[in-house]
Amino acid sequence: MSVADAELKQKVEELIAANPVLLFMKGTPDMPRCGFSMRVVQALDSIDVEYGAIDVLPALQPLREVTAEISDWQTFPQLYVNGELIGGADIVEEMLESGELAEALGVEQPATPPAAAQAAPPAQSPPLQIE
Amino acid sequence: MIEAALPGAEVEVVDETGTADHLRATVTAPQFEGLSRLDQHRLVKAAVKPRFEDGAIHALSLKTSPPR
Repeated sequence: MSVADAELKQKVEELIAANPVLLFMKGTPDMPRCGFSMRVVQALDSIDVEYGAIDVLPALQPLREVTAEISDWQTFPQLYVNGELIGGADIVEEMLESGELAEALGVEQPATPPAAAQAAPPAQSPPLQIE
Repeated sequence: MIEAALPGAEVEVVDETGTADHLRATVTAPQFEGLSRLDQHRLVKAAVKPRFEDGAIHALSLKTSPPR
Protein backbone atom coordinates (compact mmCIF):
# COMPACT_ATOMS: atom_id res chain seq x y z
CA MET A 1 0.00 0.00 0.00
CA SER A 2 1.42 3.37 -1.02
CA VAL A 3 1.89 6.25 1.42
CA ALA A 4 -0.99 8.09 -0.23
CA ASP A 5 -3.29 5.08 0.21
CA ALA A 6 -2.25 4.68 3.83
CA GLU A 7 -3.15 8.32 4.44
CA LEU A 8 -6.46 7.87 2.65
CA LYS A 9 -7.21 4.78 4.70
CA GLN A 10 -6.58 6.70 7.91
CA LYS A 11 -8.80 9.54 6.68
CA VAL A 12 -11.61 7.13 5.82
CA GLU A 13 -11.33 5.40 9.18
CA GLU A 14 -11.53 8.79 10.92
CA LEU A 15 -14.63 9.74 8.91
CA ILE A 16 -16.32 6.43 9.71
CA ALA A 17 -15.55 6.92 13.40
CA ALA A 18 -16.68 10.56 13.42
CA ASN A 19 -20.03 10.10 11.64
CA PRO A 20 -22.66 7.85 13.25
CA VAL A 21 -24.38 7.46 9.88
CA LEU A 22 -22.08 7.75 6.89
CA LEU A 23 -22.76 6.98 3.26
CA PHE A 24 -20.07 6.51 0.64
CA MET A 25 -21.83 7.06 -2.66
CA LYS A 26 -21.38 7.97 -6.29
CA GLY A 27 -22.45 11.59 -6.57
CA THR A 28 -24.19 13.55 -3.83
CA PRO A 29 -27.54 13.06 -2.05
CA ASP A 30 -28.93 15.91 -4.17
CA MET A 31 -27.47 14.52 -7.36
CA PRO A 32 -26.72 10.79 -7.17
CA ARG A 33 -24.68 9.57 -10.12
CA CYS A 34 -25.65 5.92 -9.83
CA GLY A 35 -28.96 4.14 -9.35
CA PHE A 36 -27.70 2.08 -6.43
CA SER A 37 -26.51 5.21 -4.60
CA MET A 38 -29.83 6.88 -5.29
CA ARG A 39 -31.68 3.94 -3.74
CA VAL A 40 -29.75 4.27 -0.49
CA VAL A 41 -30.33 8.04 -0.38
CA GLN A 42 -34.05 7.41 -0.84
CA ALA A 43 -34.05 4.78 1.89
CA LEU A 44 -32.32 7.12 4.35
CA ASP A 45 -34.51 10.08 3.44
CA SER A 46 -37.64 7.96 3.87
CA ILE A 47 -36.85 7.38 7.52
CA ASP A 48 -35.79 10.95 8.10
CA VAL A 49 -32.31 10.35 9.45
CA GLU A 50 -29.34 12.68 9.36
CA TYR A 51 -26.28 11.32 7.63
CA GLY A 52 -22.96 12.31 6.21
CA ALA A 53 -22.33 11.58 2.55
CA ILE A 54 -19.06 11.23 0.69
CA ASP A 55 -18.82 11.30 -3.07
CA VAL A 56 -16.40 8.52 -4.02
CA LEU A 57 -16.15 9.41 -7.70
CA PRO A 58 -13.17 11.78 -7.40
CA ALA A 59 -11.09 8.95 -5.89
CA LEU A 60 -12.96 5.82 -6.92
CA GLN A 61 -10.16 3.30 -7.33
CA PRO A 62 -8.17 4.31 -4.21
CA LEU A 63 -11.37 4.26 -2.15
CA ARG A 64 -12.24 0.80 -3.48
CA GLU A 65 -8.86 -0.45 -2.32
CA VAL A 66 -9.15 1.24 1.06
CA THR A 67 -12.68 -0.01 1.81
CA ALA A 68 -11.69 -3.48 0.65
CA GLU A 69 -9.09 -3.44 3.42
CA ILE A 70 -11.29 -1.84 6.05
CA SER A 71 -14.53 -3.73 5.42
CA ASP A 72 -13.84 -6.41 2.79
CA TRP A 73 -16.27 -4.55 0.51
CA GLN A 74 -15.29 -2.64 -2.60
CA THR A 75 -18.46 -1.62 -4.36
CA PHE A 76 -20.34 1.60 -3.69
CA PRO A 77 -22.63 2.73 -2.14
CA GLN A 78 -21.58 1.67 1.34
CA LEU A 79 -23.57 2.65 4.40
CA TYR A 80 -21.85 2.72 7.79
CA VAL A 81 -23.75 2.99 11.05
CA ASN A 82 -21.82 3.49 14.28
CA GLY A 83 -18.61 2.47 12.60
CA GLU A 84 -19.95 -0.75 11.10
CA LEU A 85 -20.62 -1.49 7.46
CA ILE A 86 -24.34 -2.14 7.03
CA GLY A 87 -24.24 -2.90 3.32
CA GLY A 88 -24.97 -1.59 -0.14
CA ALA A 89 -28.28 -0.74 -1.79
CA ASP A 90 -29.74 -4.26 -1.76
CA ILE A 91 -29.11 -4.86 1.93
CA VAL A 92 -30.17 -1.34 2.94
CA GLU A 93 -33.48 -1.74 1.08
CA GLU A 94 -34.12 -5.18 2.57
CA MET A 95 -33.46 -3.74 6.02
CA LEU A 96 -35.70 -0.74 5.34
CA GLU A 97 -38.58 -3.02 4.39
CA SER A 98 -38.09 -5.28 7.41
CA GLY A 99 -37.75 -2.37 9.85
CA GLU A 100 -34.18 -3.38 10.72
CA LEU A 101 -32.75 -0.20 9.22
CA ALA A 102 -34.81 2.07 11.45
CA GLU A 103 -33.85 -0.11 14.38
CA ALA A 104 -30.14 0.07 13.53
CA LEU A 105 -30.41 3.83 13.20
CA GLY A 106 -32.41 4.21 16.39
CA VAL A 107 -35.35 5.97 14.72
CA GLU A 108 -39.04 5.20 14.45
CA GLN A 109 -40.08 3.44 11.29
CA PRO A 110 -42.51 5.87 9.64
CA ALA A 111 -46.01 4.59 9.08
CA THR A 112 -46.07 6.01 5.56
CA PRO A 113 -44.66 3.89 2.76
CA PRO A 114 -41.22 5.00 1.52
CA ALA A 115 -42.64 6.28 -1.79
CA ALA A 116 -44.86 8.81 0.00
CA ALA A 117 -42.13 9.77 2.44
CA GLN A 118 -39.85 10.84 -0.39
CA ALA A 119 -41.92 13.98 -0.84
CA ALA A 120 -40.77 15.18 2.58
CA PRO A 121 -37.69 17.42 2.59
CA PRO A 122 -34.60 15.29 3.10
CA ALA A 123 -32.77 15.67 6.38
CA GLN A 124 -29.14 15.49 5.55
CA SER A 125 -25.86 17.01 6.50
CA PRO A 126 -23.83 18.90 3.94
CA PRO A 127 -21.64 16.65 1.80
CA LEU A 128 -18.29 15.81 3.33
CA GLN A 129 -15.14 16.19 1.35
CA ILE A 130 -12.08 14.05 1.25
CA GLU A 131 -9.17 16.45 1.01
CA MET B 1 -20.76 -19.64 -11.98
CA ILE B 2 -22.48 -18.93 -8.66
CA GLU B 3 -23.73 -22.49 -8.54
CA ALA B 4 -20.20 -23.80 -9.10
CA ALA B 5 -18.87 -21.76 -6.17
CA LEU B 6 -21.79 -22.59 -3.89
CA PRO B 7 -22.80 -26.21 -4.47
CA GLY B 8 -26.48 -26.76 -3.82
CA ALA B 9 -27.33 -23.11 -4.43
CA GLU B 10 -30.48 -22.12 -6.23
CA VAL B 11 -29.82 -19.13 -8.46
CA GLU B 12 -32.25 -17.05 -10.44
CA VAL B 13 -30.80 -14.32 -12.62
CA VAL B 14 -32.77 -11.57 -14.30
CA ASP B 15 -31.28 -9.42 -17.05
CA GLU B 16 -32.61 -6.03 -15.99
CA THR B 17 -31.66 -3.98 -19.01
CA GLY B 18 -31.68 -6.56 -21.80
CA THR B 19 -27.96 -5.96 -22.27
CA ALA B 20 -26.86 -8.85 -20.03
CA ASP B 21 -24.53 -6.62 -18.00
CA HIS B 22 -26.93 -5.27 -15.39
CA LEU B 23 -28.16 -8.33 -13.55
CA ARG B 24 -30.37 -9.08 -10.61
CA ALA B 25 -29.79 -12.39 -8.88
CA THR B 26 -31.73 -14.17 -6.20
CA VAL B 27 -29.54 -16.76 -4.52
CA THR B 28 -30.57 -19.36 -1.99
CA ALA B 29 -27.68 -21.44 -0.72
CA PRO B 30 -27.09 -23.79 2.20
CA GLN B 31 -23.70 -22.08 2.70
CA PHE B 32 -25.56 -18.92 3.82
CA GLU B 33 -26.89 -20.56 6.95
CA GLY B 34 -25.77 -18.56 9.97
CA LEU B 35 -24.09 -15.84 7.92
CA SER B 36 -24.95 -12.14 7.99
CA ARG B 37 -26.37 -10.64 4.80
CA LEU B 38 -23.01 -8.94 4.29
CA ASP B 39 -21.19 -12.27 4.37
CA GLN B 40 -23.79 -13.87 2.09
CA HIS B 41 -23.24 -11.11 -0.44
CA ARG B 42 -19.47 -11.41 -0.04
CA LEU B 43 -19.64 -15.09 -1.01
CA VAL B 44 -21.66 -14.39 -4.16
CA LYS B 45 -19.57 -11.40 -5.16
CA ALA B 46 -16.38 -13.42 -4.77
CA ALA B 47 -17.87 -16.08 -7.05
CA VAL B 48 -18.66 -13.62 -9.84
CA LYS B 49 -15.63 -11.36 -9.40
CA PRO B 50 -13.93 -12.53 -12.64
CA ARG B 51 -16.96 -11.41 -14.67
CA PHE B 52 -16.74 -7.94 -13.12
CA GLU B 53 -13.02 -7.80 -13.78
CA ASP B 54 -13.38 -8.77 -17.44
CA GLY B 55 -16.17 -6.22 -17.80
CA ALA B 56 -18.93 -8.69 -18.64
CA ILE B 57 -21.02 -7.46 -15.69
CA HIS B 58 -21.35 -3.82 -14.66
CA ALA B 59 -23.93 -4.10 -11.95
CA LEU B 60 -25.32 -6.95 -9.90
CA SER B 61 -28.25 -6.57 -7.59
CA LEU B 62 -28.45 -9.34 -5.00
CA LYS B 63 -31.00 -10.91 -2.76
CA THR B 64 -29.62 -13.77 -0.72
CA SER B 65 -31.02 -16.14 1.85
CA PRO B 66 -30.40 -19.59 3.31
CA PRO B 67 -32.87 -22.30 2.25
CA ARG B 68 -36.10 -22.38 4.23
